[in-house]
This record gives sequence, C-alpha cells and structure tokens, in this order.
Amino acid sequence: MPALERSQWYDIARSTNWTPSFVTEEELFPKEMSDPHSVPVSEWETYDEPYKVSYREYVAIQREKDSGAYSVRSALQRSKYYENADPAYLSLLKLHYAAIALSEYQTGIASARMARFGRAPGMRNMATFGVLDELRHGQIQLSFAHQLVPLDRQFDWAQRAQHTNNWAALSGRHALDDVMMTRDAITTSIMVNFAFETGLTNVQMIGLSADAANIGDFTFSNLITSIQSDEARHAQIATPLIEILIRNGKKAEVQKAVDIAFWRIWKIFALLTGIPMDYWFPLEKRDQSFKEYMHEFVIVQFDRQLKDVGLDRPWYWEHFLNEIDTYHHTQQAGIWSWRNTVWWNPTGGLGKAERVWLEQKYPGWNDTFGKYWDVIIDNVNNGKLEHTHAVGNPALCSMCNNTIASRGGLRWDARVRQKEYQGRRYNFCSEPCEWIFDQEPDRYKDWNTVVDRLYTGEISPPNAEGLLKYMGIGVVSEGGQDAHGLRWADEYRPLAAAE
Amino acid sequence: MPLALLSRFQNDAHVRVIDVQPDQTMDEVAAACAAPAVDRQVRHPDPSKPLRVRMTTPDDSAPPFERKLTVREAGFRHFECVDVFVE
Repeated sequence: MPALERSQWYDIARSTNWTPSFVTEEELFPKEMSDPHSVPVSEWETYDEPYKVSYREYVAIQREKDSGAYSVRSALQRSKYYENADPAYLSLLKLHYAAIALSEYQTGIASARMARFGRAPGMRNMATFGVLDELRHGQIQLSFAHQLVPLDRQFDWAQRAQHTNNWAALSGRHALDDVMMTRDAITTSIMVNFAFETGLTNVQMIGLSADAANIGDFTFSNLITSIQSDEARHAQIATPLIEILIRNGKKAEVQKAVDIAFWRIWKIFALLTGIPMDYWFPLEKRDQSFKEYMHEFVIVQFDRQLKDVGLDRPWYWEHFLNEIDTYHHTQQAGIWSWRNTVWWNPTGGLGKAERVWLEQKYPGWNDTFGKYWDVIIDNVNNGKLEHTHAVGNPALCSMCNNTIASRGGLRWDARVRQKEYQGRRYNFCSEPCEWIFDQEPDRYKDWNTVVDRLYTGEISPPNAEGLLKYMGIGVVSEGGQDAHGLRWADEYRPLAAAE
Repeated sequence: MPLALLSRFQNDAHVRVIDVQPDQTMDEVAAACAAPAVDRQVRHPDPSKPLRVRMTTPDDSAPPFERKLTVREAGFRHFECVDVFVE
C-alpha cells in the first residue's frame, strides 16, 4: 500500500494537545517553564510552523548531510591539509571548536525544553527535530576537533573548555546559560531561535564558511554550511510564536527578550568571528571584512526580519553600529597581549599591507588601534620581547566578562560604567551590558568574573601563576603564543633600527 | 590586603586592575598604574610632566588629587576607578 503524502496526515498527526485528567494544566505546563505570559491555549493552537518535515524525511536528509561532511573530511585528511595549514588559521579552528562544539549540547537542552514545555503542538514538533539537529552538531564538531588533537594538544579544548574556568569559556558560558539554559520555553525560543540563530549565526556559518573555502579548508567550510542548513530550518520555530505573542499584546516582552539575547550573543561573535576574519586570515584570502559581513547578514537581513515579525531594532542600535567598528579590534589587542591566558595561538598579523587594509575597512584604525600595535612592534624589533606580554589584569565586564576596553592611541575611549547593587560594586563595558543587569539584578548579582575571584579567595595563590592554573593553562594544554613567532613584525625592523 | 583600583591610563585601550596599598601616595599610585601600560601598549603622554590621578567621572572634569595624598586619605574603596594623566 503506498504511503500517504505528508500533507494528507501531518496536520492530524501533530495535533497533540489534550485535556489532562491526572494532573492540572498548570502542573503539566508550569508558567515558569512554559508560557509566563499566559496566552490562551486556543491562540497557541493557531501556531503554523513554516517548515514541515516528517521523521522519515528528516533522517534521509540528515544522513546525506553527514555523509557529505565526513567524506570531505576523509579526502582532506589524505592531503595532510592541517599539517600544512597556516598556524593562525588553526587558531581559528581551536577557538571555534572549543567555543561551539559543547555549546551545541546546551542548545539541544534548550530545544528539549521547547519540545516538552512549548504550548503549540507545531512548536513542540519542530523543536524535537531541533534537539536532534543540535546533537548532530555537537557530535560532528567534537569528532572533527578530536582528530586534530595528535597534531596539537590545544585542540583538546574542544572537549574541555566548557568544563574549565578559563576566562573565555566563562564569558561564553555566562551568556549561553543566560539565554539558553535558564528561561522558559517561550523566551528561550525568542532568544535562541530568533535573536541568536536568525540574527547572528549567518555571520559565523556563511561568512566564515566562505573564508574557509577560500583558504582551501573544505572540511570546515562544508561542516559549518551543513550545520547552518539545520539552523536555518529550526530558527523558524520562533517566527509564528512571536506573531502570536504580539497579537496578544506582548510585544514589549518579546522586544526585551530579543534585545537582551542579541546583545549577549553579539559579544560572543565579535570575538569568535570578528577577530579571525580581520586579523588571522591571510590578507589575500579574506572575502570581506567582518564589518561588511555584519552589514550584509545583520544590519540588512536581520533588520528586515525584525520588521517582518513586527518588532523594532534593539534600542541600542547606534551603540551596536559603533561596536561593529571597534569592539573586535579592542578584543584582538587584549587577547594578543594576554595570549598566555588562552588555548589558541593568536597572531598579531599586522604587516604593512594588513594595516592598509584595516585602515581602508575601518577609517581611523591607524590613529587608534594602530598606535597600540606601534608600541608592540617597537618592542619586538628592539628585543624587548617580555614587554609584548601584558602584565597584571584587565578590568572585566560583570555582564559579558570580556575586557573593558575601547579606542586608545590618539583617543581615550576606554571607560567603565559602574553600579552599586546591594552593597557591591559592578563594572560594565557598555550601556547595554549595564541595562541587561538592570532588567533582573538578582539573576546576575552573584556572578564573579575571574578577576573578581582573585579577590574572593577562590583562586589560590591569588597571583598570575595561580590564575593561569585556575583557568586550565598548563593543565589542559599550554597557553597561547604568537602564531607566527612575531615574524609579521619583521618588515618594520629597518624603521625601528633607524629610530 | 591590597586594594584594587581600576586604572584608566591616558590614551590606553584597556582599563586595568591595579593593586595599591593604603599608605601609597598618589604619585606612587600613578607609577603603579603606569607600570603595566607605558611602553608596553601605550606611550607616556608627556614624559616631561608628572602623572596625576583623579576620580573618573563621565565628563572627565574631576580635579587631580594632591600628589602626596594617600590612598587611605582619599577614601578609595574596592574597584574605585581613577584616571591617570598629565595636565
């Protein structure tokens, strides 16, 4: 007997709401886990998922994706690609796998919450496939990273980073726990499926994929393209949900959730994607600047998607545009100077041609960030290599956990925003980070950055050695060094000698 | 137990955490703030002039502290934010 077409049975099969008799509706769907806005069930039952798929279809499609990604990896393994790859490019992979692979499992848990506590049957159905997506993403990226451990121990951070207290891991975990692990199903979907996956993953998964293909790493390019095809599907979970909430008078609540999550995830992608695109990729292999990718995928596309669902730009949009010009430059400078604290080898990567490119893409770069690197280049070429390593600690933001920094050189823009709450002083890098704290101080008030922990007695001894060990440096692997052994500074040598 | 200050050194890209002692003068605080920054990631703004310390304010208008004033006398608390600059 021929199988029915999906369209003939799907709507009936996914109508899985029922009237509970052994427990109350409130016990089955507690507000704090399900829908804090108390939208009527009849409204949720109008949810119509834009992308429909059956389990049989899903498995067939995913099998094709996996076999494609693994076969490309096998082909590249035979060519010894990674043994001969640029060490700065390998740093991108170390950073990406450690930041993303285990986080996919977190997203799987977030999707499982939607699958269990979502009020709309269609949402629960799509979220179930979302769980399977995220499990695949976690497994495939852990597998790809694990094969590189014999090449370089730092690749082991893909397995380990999320279980350490490394500052970069804490930064990511604080944000992801906030948006993915500690919210009700509805808010989680808005934050993860819309603000995160619809808003920002294209930059990492499509922009970075293009750059990876340019450099010949078809394994990574194919891998993240494969992942993004899943993201593009399950990201749509949020769209009908947002439309229902707005129709029921909850636009302000949705907008706030988007504004919080978009800012939190932006901070991650600025480091994860912005720095490699503008500093680590060889100049001739860069497709576009990070800023250009952000304009294409976020400022144009996401802005349109916000309007399409009836939302506004986040209130901090102008501040966001300013950070696209500055934030990843400040973080590249700090991460390079404190490179012994990270699990990858960042390159300064600033030959003269690269500086011309940066000035062209980011007018004013030479008079601000360039001045920072001028001091470092002089130290390299005058043999003061110990001065190229930062000493002491930077101030860290109580929200994003990254260094509080901004343009220096001919400007002096680095500034702390401080707040007193219940007798404790908190430090913020920006108005949006402070605003997020203000929305729910009790959610965030007990968090300590790694610098805070030096003063709470959690790190012993409370010095540089104790801090590095606490962060897993010298435990999981050695910390970072300049990926190119500072050779990028060689072309300035005659100038330094003449001076 | 040292006191942690947040230091904005003139034209530096980073805000830094600097440990100081209650008996240190503002000149000594300025030197402590300069040590991890100057000639590492930023140039001294004017080596012919002394570095001064003032409270960080939104409009950078606070007057500099007297150079002999101590940390204790200034009443600094944990994570007090100061500017270190030349006049």
